[in-house]
Amino acid sequence: MKVRIFFPLIASALLAQAGCTTVQPWEKGKLAKPEMTFGGDRLETRYADHIYTSREAAAGGAGVGGGGCGCN
Amino acid sequence: MISKQTPQELAASLLAAALLLPGVQAHADEPPRNGSISLRYLDYADRQPGLDRIHAHSPSVSVTAPVAGDWSVEGTLTADDVSGASPRYHTAISGASHMEDERKAGDFAVTRYFRRGTLTAGAAYSTEHDYVSRALSLNGTLSSEDNNTTWAFGLAGSRDSINPVNNVVVDEHKRTVSVLAGVTRVLTPNDIAQLTLTRTNGSGYYNDPYKLFDNRPRSRRENTVLLRWNHYVDATGGTTRLGYRYYSDSFRIRAHTLSGEYVQPLANGWTIAPELRLYTQSAAWFYYDPVYDATLGAPFPPGFSNGADPNRLSSPDQRLSGFGAVTVGLKVAREIGKLWTVDVKVEEYEQRGSWRLFHDGSPGLAPLRARVLQVGLTRRW
Repeated sequence: MKVRIFFPLIASALLAQAGCTTVQPWEKGKLAKPEMTFGGDRLETRYADHIYTSREAAAGGAGVGGGGCGCN
Repeated sequence: MISKQTPQELAASLLAAALLLPGVQAHADEPPRNGSISLRYLDYADRQPGLDRIHAHSPSVSVTAPVAGDWSVEGTLTADDVSGASPRYHTAISGASHMEDERKAGDFAVTRYFRRGTLTAGAAYSTEHDYVSRALSLNGTLSSEDNNTTWAFGLAGSRDSINPVNNVVVDEHKRTVSVLAGVTRVLTPNDIAQLTLTRTNGSGYYNDPYKLFDNRPRSRRENTVLLRWNHYVDATGGTTRLGYRYYSDSFRIRAHTLSGEYVQPLANGWTIAPELRLYTQSAAWFYYDPVYDATLGAPFPPGFSNGADPNRLSSPDQRLSGFGAVTVGLKVAREIGKLWTVDVKVEEYEQRGSWRLFHDGSPGLAPLRARVLQVGLTRRW
């Protein structure tokens, strides 16, 4: 039940923020830097996901589509 | 001859010129300009007091390439060579058994780029001597006209086949269906945030076939909320990358993950990035603490000698206990020319039952420590 309340609250807060500001194209130079993107190094991310998935109960969050393994 | 422009025409010209600058369309839906190939090697070792446990070596390769203007393809191949001691119940060293395994995994994805969106179809395959996993996925993004907001959606399914060498089960399966919804928003010229929600429904064989008294529910529903925020620091030219994830599932596990990283570019192509990750989870409702049956002792669960149903749901798996964990890491990278990047990353990980927050339970488990070393090399063309 807590999760059902938690999800839309956070979503609403971010979406509300989303409507407040407009950043112009010529102001996005810093945002285009690789370290400002959310993707990161794919292989490094895979390793981290694999390690934490095999050592902790919680998993995922950033994407869907990876296969499973016998490590957990 | 000098032409006179109206303010509107001047603004339009400036906008058009700005859009031509590389990188200005911060999160536009456009294919990568360059292809790249990355090689990466992982060396992982974990240990508990008095016992070196798992050691893994894992080389991998990843290729990304633009194709025919509006398309890109990417694929990865990984091989894991895992060996060591794996406890059969809780963390008792006397119950440890030697194991060796080799896992080969690969995935492939094709992305089509549209003016305001992308569509990616992917497939993944992983095989071990006792476990095979197959997965398909479809992910998409849609951006607002000003490219300040991007919505993401995803649908994925997996089908795993499980054939443990001890034959406690034969040809078991596990199936999952996952959905994703997310939004990425440019907040200021220095800030960008992302919210992602996922839900996974799974059914089938969730037991660990190599653990004693491991009998878990045959379905699992998992939810995650992931909030990430990247901030560019004008004073230093560095970037802070913060993340928080809330996880809950039908095993009644609740977990919080807080992660932070600071990326600082230095002179001559060097970059240094320290990181810190804090994690805590509650125990699954059917996990039993390392307190054993009064008559039979370890590893029998309490009540086993008094006629308790031997098929009741239970698990002594430390990963389903309540604990907290800390990761401290440092990554150093160097760009060599415009085409090469090399990096080294070292992490130290530790989990302890006494570090759990928000929840009770799971005392007395031995701490687990791990050391992770990665070396990476990327070549662009």
